[in-house]
Amino acid sequence: MFEDFLWALKEELRQIKSSWYKLGLITIFPLLCFALIIAIFKEGVAHDLPVAVVDYDKSSLSRKVLFDIDASSTIHITQQCNDVISAKRLLQESKVYGVIIIPKNFTKDVYLKKSPKVTALLNTQYILISKIFKAALLETVSGVAGSVEVGWNLAKDEPLYEAIANVAPIKLYTATFFNTYKNYFYFLVSALLPSIWQIFVVIGTIVSFGSLFKAKKEQEFFREGSLIMKTLGKIFPYTMAYFLLGAGYVFYLYGVEPWPFEGSLSVMLFAIFLTTIAYQAVALFLFVTGFDYARALSLGAVYTAPAFAFLGITFPIYSMNAFAIFWRDLLPVSYLVNIQISLANYGASALQQLDNLYHIALFLLFFIPVIWQFKQRLAR
Amino acid sequence: MSFFEVFKGELKLVVTDVALMLTVIGGVLLYSFLYPQPYVKQSVTNLPVSIVDYDRSEKSRALIYKLRATPQIDIVRYDMSKEDALKAIVADEIKGVIIIPAHFSRDLSLGHSPTVALGVDNSYFLIYGALMEATLKSVMQEAGGAKAAKLLIKQTPMSAVKDQLTPFSLNDISLFNRYGSYIQYVIPAVFVLILQQTLLIGMGILGGGINERMKKGIKGYYIHAKVWQMMLSRYIIFGTLFFIHMLYYFGFSFSFFGVTQLADMASLISFGVLFLTASISLGIVLGALFREREIATPVILFSSLPLVFSAGFVWPIESIPKFVYDIALLFPSTTAIQGFLKLNQLGAPLSALGTNSLILLTQTVIYTILGYYFMKKNQKAYNGKI
Repeated sequence: MFEDFLWALKEELRQIKSSWYKLGLITIFPLLCFALIIAIFKEGVAHDLPVAVVDYDKSSLSRKVLFDIDASSTIHITQQCNDVISAKRLLQESKVYGVIIIPKNFTKDVYLKKSPKVTALLNTQYILISKIFKAALLETVSGVAGSVEVGWNLAKDEPLYEAIANVAPIKLYTATFFNTYKNYFYFLVSALLPSIWQIFVVIGTIVSFGSLFKAKKEQEFFREGSLIMKTLGKIFPYTMAYFLLGAGYVFYLYGVEPWPFEGSLSVMLFAIFLTTIAYQAVALFLFVTGFDYARALSLGAVYTAPAFAFLGITFPIYSMNAFAIFWRDLLPVSYLVNIQISLANYGASALQQLDNLYHIALFLLFFIPVIWQFKQRLAR
Repeated sequence: MSFFEVFKGELKLVVTDVALMLTVIGGVLLYSFLYPQPYVKQSVTNLPVSIVDYDRSEKSRALIYKLRATPQIDIVRYDMSKEDALKAIVADEIKGVIIIPAHFSRDLSLGHSPTVALGVDNSYFLIYGALMEATLKSVMQEAGGAKAAKLLIKQTPMSAVKDQLTPFSLNDISLFNRYGSYIQYVIPAVFVLILQQTLLIGMGILGGGINERMKKGIKGYYIHAKVWQMMLSRYIIFGTLFFIHMLYYFGFSFSFFGVTQLADMASLISFGVLFLTASISLGIVLGALFREREIATPVILFSSLPLVFSAGFVWPIESIPKFVYDIALLFPSTTAIQGFLKLNQLGAPLSALGTNSLILLTQTVIYTILGYYFMKKNQKAYNGKI
């Protein structure tokens, strides 16, 4: 029994050694994809977003507001426009992400206590960028407005603490649990890496079996001995390679980068191992639906490519429809990311992961139709 | 060999290849349905939240009432202490907790500025912003009421009260995708990439398949056909097919999912044709380079996620390392996504797409030359072997 496993394992290792493509699938290709994604978001915070201004007031107060806006690290004023129409055109052409308009008689209205408004036109087509932009703008404008108001209150002989208190009758204190850095790198990269990783697990496994059947060597390969052992032996190099790559991204996120991992690392590693095999079972299942190498790859692409959108990291699952949640449930990586967040952020116990682990393990059932189909195929 | 014979040969290879057809027809249709699914409800609503009310006064209840009225917040439980609420977060029952301090009502009346606390599970992307916005709005309303009451006590006329609340404020106006719909955000960009990727996979399977046949010494039209005949055939076959796909995506699918369509038909089609020719030219190059049928799907698939995130619509180009962005610019999708968004989502005229069009034209020229060179080389290698 075990010799069959070893024999198939050695056979596959030989294959990998002689094919740069197979070797690439478990080494350089996934690493390159990881590296590109990390590089894109490496800065973590957006800065110097180009913005246009239209200053109809041209007073010292309006200049102070604009100066403070430009001084924020997020916003960079790149264009001064004379009218709103030309500024809006810049927005349409995506040359700027927003337009800030200071109205005529701004200073006068402030001192007449007419509470004028600084208008910002935001390009909300780019949701994330406009959110970052708006937050920075709101902070600066209310900062300047607040300091003006405190000045007034002081002028009314109010003591300083009261002058400040009267500006904001209720204060809002916000705390974020977990990912307290408010860093987009963590949000996106911690979900993107597993999403890319699962694509490779499925594709790598399909390539291993697909090339065997394409070369019509399957009869020879499965000629004698245990079919199950040989199957497991053949996918084992990929199991190990993708397990290590999975462990690698976890190590990168919580070891190289400064994010804390509160829970048990060994539970996380076990979850990655289980997810690797689960995806391999699904990959083989996709292959045995027709024993067509190229078609299995197409199916694998449809299955794995959209996974990121369904994870609920960007768009919350609470706002998803029933079909989206159903599709999400069909992806082992959904449960893996649940475990990752639960362990890394909440520091939850191993026991609390049982439900997710159980769901991942259910995918192993796909091995049953796979082995059955192999037997049928070889009997012919 | 006549052009018609070559065209027939190419067409036959395309339509008889199950995997190829599965990608360029099945895949295109399936993705148009599958990709928008997570975002069909468009915006972030109904986030489960717990309230810890240490004050239990009329004022605190008024605030809770305002919180409950926001679309983002769904109050699913009340906790006695913040520790209980934290446990519920770890158990993944709630995404945030709002804490109203003891003596909230008293401090508010005395002008002592009580502090309402909002705690958010920041493991997820949009949740913090949504809860923050909803809570801030409710608190501001409540605070505005308190401020106004004070001013009224000071005999300020009601009409002036509203203006005196703050020296000046920010009035933010959302242009384009006004309600922050996620489907409007993701779909117009991702659909462009799907068109390109399925096209490249299809052409890669075709080209790789031909290379494989040549390697095995299987005779066919591709041995004697002139390279330009094969290239022209591909422009016609994939051009026609993906032109229809493009109309389906930007027409039917966009309407179906309620995505904005500001561009006029003529501009959209002109830019779309540029995008398709650049993509087909790249497809010819890749087809000539892939040695096997099965290499196309994985390689193109792997490029998808990096391409989405370097196109500049999620993360600002200003913050993407230049070398990554430059690599992404080699693919037509990067500049095409920017162009299509300007045209169809922001309502810019075609004349504003000069740079994007120029990049696509350059890609077409370079990839056509490269494609010709590589295909010629493949043919020569085959004939040299015989």
